[in-house]
Amino acid sequence: MRLQTALPLEMLRLTRFPTRWRRPPAAGVPAKNVGFRKVASGVSSLGSASPRSLNIFDRDLKRKQKNWAARQPERIKFDYLKEEVGSRIADRIYDIARDFPLALDVGCGRGYIAQHLNKETVGKFFQTDIAENALKNALEMEIPTVSVLADEEFLPFRENIFDLVVSSLSLHWVNDLPRALEQIHCVLKPDGVFIGALFGGDTLYELRCSLQLAETEREGGFSPHVSPFTAVNDLGHLLGRAGFNTLTVDTDEIQVNYPGMFELMEDLQGMGESNCAWNRKALLHRDTMLAAAAVYREMYGNEDGSVPATYQIYYMIGWKYHDSQARPAKRGSATVSFGELGKINDLMSQGKKSQ
Amino acid sequence: MSGNGAVWGRVRSRLRAFPDRLAACGAEAAAYGRCVQASTAPGGRLRKDLCAQEFEALRSCFVAAAKKTLTGSH
Repeated sequence: MRLQTALPLEMLRLTRFPTRWRRPPAAGVPAKNVGFRKVASGVSSLGSASPRSLNIFDRDLKRKQKNWAARQPERIKFDYLKEEVGSRIADRIYDIARDFPLALDVGCGRGYIAQHLNKETVGKFFQTDIAENALKNALEMEIPTVSVLADEEFLPFRENIFDLVVSSLSLHWVNDLPRALEQIHCVLKPDGVFIGALFGGDTLYELRCSLQLAETEREGGFSPHVSPFTAVNDLGHLLGRAGFNTLTVDTDEIQVNYPGMFELMEDLQGMGESNCAWNRKALLHRDTMLAAAAVYREMYGNEDGSVPATYQIYYMIGWKYHDSQARPAKRGSATVSFGELGKINDLMSQGKKSQ
Repeated sequence: MSGNGAVWGRVRSRLRAFPDRLAACGAEAAAYGRCVQASTAPGGRLRKDLCAQEFEALRSCFVAAAKKTLTGSH
């Protein structure tokens, strides 16, 4: 099946990849969706009846929000969170004693990870995002990059080509996270590594609770205003299901103080992190906002009058299988029984003596 | 959004004035916040208009602050 793409940007090289790339199609995905994707479109057709895929987020709206955010005249002042997480991911990349000739950044935004890396560690960086303004206004970096306009769930790359895939704070807006992870696993080379960061369950819990309480008191009910996040247990399952080996998941909390709730909401919008879930309420009454700001300050405020906002970040590292990696031993190959664990000191000294 | 973003700009500038006006009503906001927080304690039940009085006080203070800044700026 030929891959036809309408490519507005400089992604010309990719059209020369053999178009026979095959994703093992998920059960129930209609055949017309396999191998044929308009790379620039953000969402699989709403009518596609894949029983596996969820449709929680309006990807079109997310792209518009990110485009808007990247076009703002003062966009640099909203970069602080993504820069910080980008630098922590770059730290993790440096921790791996390897260099990566070809790397991919999924949902790169304006390139927060690449600017912390050097040419020795990463030879060439592919930056993908759904928002073209973000790619156009990318930050300065010394590594040669290729910008690709692509959705995280539909990566237009061949199998087994990337040594490193990173993703910083963009997978939490993906509808079908298992599939996105499977695709990432697919484009990785054997012995390639995926390092990702996404927001965890406790993120913005202060905002969520304040809005919930204020809406209940003012309007008699409440609707979700903060998007749902993945739980840390599920992350391990998801990565395992996608085929990754040797998983590492760790969490980090960044607390940022704001003068008040309105400033926090303005910053979230400036970062391009506004809510885009389908079940969001389109309108937030001014009374409710006022009430929520009062509740936020009273329940969570600091002594100096500022209010904290918590961002909980999950970092995950997963490897693609390769023969050189350590594997669990075969069943039945044990030479010692667990029952002898109490005598482990004797066993070890016996082993040394016999050498 | 509209072509030149006039409506959005107007609404956004009105919203930007909120923090200052809220700062002028610190006491009322704290009273309202305490009322709502008290309902989250075990045994409390939050329902609509539980803290309506406190909220009315906050709102009138807020509106007064808005009028003051409007008349002050003209």
